[in-house]
Amino acid sequence: MLPLRLVSLFFALGVAAGSGDQRKLNIESFEFIWTTIRDQYWDPTFGGLNWQAVHDELRPRMDKASTMPEARHVMREMIDRLGKSHFGIIPSDVYGDLDEREEGGGPAVTGIDVRVLEGKAIVTAVEDGSSAEAQDVRRGWEVVSVDGVPIAPALRRIAELDRDSTMLELHLARSVQAKLSGATGSHAHVEFVDGEGRHVTKQIERSEPPGALARFGYLPPMHVWFQSRKIAGNIGYLTFNLFLDPAHLMPEFGDALKSCAECAGVIIDLRGNPGGLGIMATGMAGWFLDRPDQRLGTMHMRQAPIKFTVNPRLPTYRGAVAMLVDGCSASTSEIFAEGMKDLGRARVFGTRTAGAALPSAIDKLPNGDGFQHAVADYMSEGGKPLEGVGVIPDVEVKLTREALLAGRDPVLEAAIEWMHTRK
Amino acid sequence: MDAHAKVKVPMHLRRKLIPLLLAALACSAVWAAPGEPLPKAEEILDKFVEVTGGKAAYENVRNEKSTGTFEFVGKGIKGTVTSYLADPNKSVTNVDLEGVGTMQDGTDGQTAWQNSSMQGPRIKQGEERAASLREATLRAPLYWRKLYKHVETVGQETIDDQVCYKVVLTPEEGQLETQYYDKKSGLMVKITMVVASPMGEIPTETILSDYKQEGGLRTPHKLQHKLAGMDFLVTLDHVDYNVEIPENKFDVPADVKALAPK
Repeated sequence: MLPLRLVSLFFALGVAAGSGDQRKLNIESFEFIWTTIRDQYWDPTFGGLNWQAVHDELRPRMDKASTMPEARHVMREMIDRLGKSHFGIIPSDVYGDLDEREEGGGPAVTGIDVRVLEGKAIVTAVEDGSSAEAQDVRRGWEVVSVDGVPIAPALRRIAELDRDSTMLELHLARSVQAKLSGATGSHAHVEFVDGEGRHVTKQIERSEPPGALARFGYLPPMHVWFQSRKIAGNIGYLTFNLFLDPAHLMPEFGDALKSCAECAGVIIDLRGNPGGLGIMATGMAGWFLDRPDQRLGTMHMRQAPIKFTVNPRLPTYRGAVAMLVDGCSASTSEIFAEGMKDLGRARVFGTRTAGAALPSAIDKLPNGDGFQHAVADYMSEGGKPLEGVGVIPDVEVKLTREALLAGRDPVLEAAIEWMHTRK
Repeated sequence: MDAHAKVKVPMHLRRKLIPLLLAALACSAVWAAPGEPLPKAEEILDKFVEVTGGKAAYENVRNEKSTGTFEFVGKGIKGTVTSYLADPNKSVTNVDLEGVGTMQDGTDGQTAWQNSSMQGPRIKQGEERAASLREATLRAPLYWRKLYKHVETVGQETIDDQVCYKVVLTPEEGQLETQYYDKKSGLMVKITMVVASPMGEIPTETILSDYKQEGGLRTPHKLQHKLAGMDFLVTLDHVDYNVEIPENKFDVPADVKALAPK
């Protein structure tokens, strides 16, 4: 008979009321969400929240919801009561739009990466070969408006709403990115303030994001890319945008390390990486650890704790490791960085991460929407929760607009300097 | 079985407590009708051999190949599964999942290993290795006397309207397994056990159904696994016996071999 214990391979996997029928499906979806959380939320006390009372309060509003937005609003309100990351509703039309565009991929982008520094949306990277590069957009420029809509009011609202949240930086950056993205071939009319303080307007064509389109269950399809190169003489630099598509990403990561066997150090840049498949962090950590039974942390599910145990991989990279993080590094990025830090195997540079590190699953709801729900709490190997706390870097280094305008990256520079000066 | 996982005692004591806990569970949830003696586990296990084809049919088997599909129920993740078993206890199973890649689990009868696109290769040790070798045993239903040092019928339980005998099997090394046999048909319909791995000890439950006769033997073609709050469904399309298998099929992969102590 088929071996039954092969299920241990999967421990880790282990991430849209109108008509009467639609209303019925929405109510079924509401009940599905409530029941799933009742049965699977890792803390059976719900942190003191009366989960049954939440149901009884919101169900009458769900019964009355006559449009999809109203129905989603009630369902989101229910899951927001938990106050945790990794709970959300993914509208069914997201899947539809992405399926239709599968040839090209997900939402088109301008090639500009943005962080909000001191209340201003600042260009932190311009993708090689992008329309933004062709338009001579520079790092350090401030994004003032997109398609005639000023950026500042939205940033102020988010800053007020999330003022006590570790996810503030992530939400601010995503707000700007959402305005910059759009349909393939469309143009973003972006007003900048350049390094000289002049207002500059650019028409930037949106194109498909770089990388290969990856699918995983009911997660919307996303583009995944990986880059590696040598910098500052003999230091390996590795970066990637998501922990997905393991069939391609893991060999690329391993090959990059193998080609860097003699490097003075390796820098893994996780800034802006929102995570993905948690277990991939253990697979990557395996290249840096030579002893078995080492863990990045433990996932606490209601049924049992699951340890994020690292399998040592050969050849072990034994040189120095620096990891770069910021407030847009979330989830698996945090598990990877904090785990490597706790094991004494990496030094972390940058700013505090998003504190959004709950392992989650995505189910399809009866109404066609996706439902992301956290299934476990996560504790680092050092015994610290990451949710709502984030990874505190060993060396805090902030990006500044001035440094970006000068073509510098202070976080990367700090990591390089540490590698060159360490004994 | 959840109760076992929650007992906060040292491992060696915990192992000793498991039979007691099982007995306690049996007292609360399992009973035999008054006056109806339970059959001996030996009879139940031997009957399973009979109803699935008989000793002679098993003895004709030199190897086994299973092919089918694998699904994370409700999560939109699907793939294919192919598994080979050969004498005496060699196995290799490949699972290819969309968006994930290939996962492999195998043993050449000595080294038990896993390899996955996400976590890389590893060699199983101790209790986990022993369990893999036991499970890789070809014609395993014939050899329960060799594979388990103690078997006992502990009660009856109804599963999906089928009254089942509950049999607890104690291996030489590793944790107890509990198997449930339909009283009428004699077929095994459920297995519960705690799977040990470096990621922890995870209580699992497998429901076996859709028995089909192929090559003179009846085997379950639908296996519903529950572990750690997740549901997996394996649906076998074919189970073939005495097929051509390349000689090197069960060789330990090079990247696993490289991990072996020098």
